[in-house]
Amino acid sequence: MGAVGGNSEGASSGPAPRFSIPMNSLRARLLLGTALLLIAFVSLGGLALEWAFRNSLDHAQQDKLEGLVYSLLGAAATLENGELSIALEAVPDPRLRQPLSGLDAALFNEAGEAVWSSAAFLRLGSLQQPGVGEWRFERLREPDVFSLSFGLRWVDVNPEVTRRYTVTVLEDASAYERQLTVFRRTLWGWLIATLIALMVTLLLLLRWGLAPLRRLGQELKKIEDGEQPQIEGRYPAELQPLTRDLNAMIVAERSQQTRYRNALGDLAHTLKTPLAVLRGLTGESGLPDLARQQLGEQVGRMQHIVDHQLRRAAAAGSRTLTEPVALRPLADKLIAALVKVYATQIRRFDNRIPEALKLRVDQGDLYELLGNLLDNASKYGGGQVRLSAEQRPGACALIVEDNGPGFPEDAERLLQRGVRADLRKPGQGLGLAAVEELVHAYEGRLYLERSSLGGARVVAVLPQR
Amino acid sequence: MRALVIEDDPDLRQQVVQFLSADGFAVDSAGDGTQGAYMAEEYPADVAIVDLGLPGTSGLEIIRQLRKAGRKYPVLILTARDGWQSKVEGLETGADDYLVKPFQKEELLARVRALLRRSGGWAQAQLASGPYVVDTGAKTVVADGKPVELTSYEFRVLEYLLTHAGKVISKSELTEHLYTEDEERDSNVIEVFIRRLRSKLDPESHYNPITTIRGAGYRWDLPRA
Repeated sequence: MGAVGGNSEGASSGPAPRFSIPMNSLRARLLLGTALLLIAFVSLGGLALEWAFRNSLDHAQQDKLEGLVYSLLGAAATLENGELSIALEAVPDPRLRQPLSGLDAALFNEAGEAVWSSAAFLRLGSLQQPGVGEWRFERLREPDVFSLSFGLRWVDVNPEVTRRYTVTVLEDASAYERQLTVFRRTLWGWLIATLIALMVTLLLLLRWGLAPLRRLGQELKKIEDGEQPQIEGRYPAELQPLTRDLNAMIVAERSQQTRYRNALGDLAHTLKTPLAVLRGLTGESGLPDLARQQLGEQVGRMQHIVDHQLRRAAAAGSRTLTEPVALRPLADKLIAALVKVYATQIRRFDNRIPEALKLRVDQGDLYELLGNLLDNASKYGGGQVRLSAEQRPGACALIVEDNGPGFPEDAERLLQRGVRADLRKPGQGLGLAAVEELVHAYEGRLYLERSSLGGARVVAVLPQR
Repeated sequence: MRALVIEDDPDLRQQVVQFLSADGFAVDSAGDGTQGAYMAEEYPADVAIVDLGLPGTSGLEIIRQLRKAGRKYPVLILTARDGWQSKVEGLETGADDYLVKPFQKEELLARVRALLRRSGGWAQAQLASGPYVVDTGAKTVVADGKPVELTSYEFRVLEYLLTHAGKVISKSELTEHLYTEDEERDSNVIEVFIRRLRSKLDPESHYNPITTIRGAGYRWDLPRA
């Protein structure tokens, strides 16, 4: 249960090292998983789109240059010397007539010599000549141009004379690059925007979807703090069996202790009344002395055993969902009761418990613990009793002091485990034995010391979460 | 002194009644809550011993009712449940002390005597007034350091007057608090007791501890020590 409460926000509790905490959270897991998936999907999609676009751009470039080659060939004519040439005036694209226009064309003969070229044909290294009737499309790097070459055999009027030529068209690649850059920028811009929008939507969806779990965690915290008795909110169908069972568990845990105590109380009642009658018989004058003594001893033993076992069984001890109990009003009630009982003995009762102090201890246990300590101090003390509390790291210490004779030297030994509590003599710290059982049930410690008031000082240290 | 015992276990009730009677109390007793509640409100009592776990009206409810009806006598609760929560509850409701079962006869009597002294405004274990010291537990009377022999009934009258020292006690009040409903009463006997008490406590008429208020009753007139 605590795990749910702690995990929804991920940081507050748990001894795990810090870097591994987010992976303990459902929200972080879902977020990370879907984020990785989205990023992979968007990246691959973007790369595929970019590849397809570049492909089609290449095709378009080639088509354009092919058209130009055809139109150049259409404008070609044979000179008197038999060489082929192209009349610039007849060239369809005006850029060929301008130098530095980015578009150039040339005609090479079989030996690779330029027999004709446009306004400013770049001096290039030897271009590979394609076979007759073949196209060769490539991208050159220095300078960055596209080049398309076409191999042909020129048949003139005289069919015996055929010459081999290569037409080459070069176009500057910067326009192509610009187009590609614009496309890329647009594509990735939109993809990233979509990615962010999706992530935000996802975050909101997760928040909404996991809200019932977070609410459940908060409710459990409230129950632990005693602000509400059980889980009250409405939850989605998937969580309802869980909340129903949790509620049943909380009720069971609370009522079990009550039932147990009531049953023990009944047992005590039925056992103790006949014991009281037997004890009364020990005062009967008709009994022989030996029988009376035996009867008294045995009744005393039975009484101690019953007391001891009842106390042990009745101590609730620390539980998960113990509500914190305000100490001050409880102490005030006990003190009012004791002042009534010890009216002639008590002169000063000092309650120094802070109003705001709350302890995670069962209320019944707290009554027993304080009741016995205060009763001892009132009974055996010198009329002055002081009750105080000290916050210690991870624990709370309850301190009861008096100005009586204090503890005998061997008092600590009385508290050691193994000294059977049920064999102790009445009046010799029977109440203290009860307190010790209780403190042990909470994994605390009990200290017997000397008070600055002059008498006994009992310190009960109760661990608190 | 008149005591009321409300306890449902017949053996224990009989025992407690016997303890108290032997100690000089006039004792009324009830075996269930309903009868007990009636007696607690209607009978004259100086002290009540009430078991908390009763059939019918619970012990706590009886105490609540008798306090509501304005009865102020001290109440000692008997309980088998020695939880502090129930003790505190009982004391908050109006009880004055508690005794956890099983208990010793001596403890019961000592607690009852202490409650009676406290309700009369006495703080010490012995009632001391003028030259007299009365120990209600040991049933001894000392005048000027010398023991005084009293019969049981004489002692009861003395105890009642001294406990309520300074208050006028009528003959009928004395009768009511010395005898139970079942016992035969004769208010003339009271006059006899008072006369004998005076002659035993103050043979030379030196201190005159008991004053007769004509038409009203008697009053212990020596100051409390």
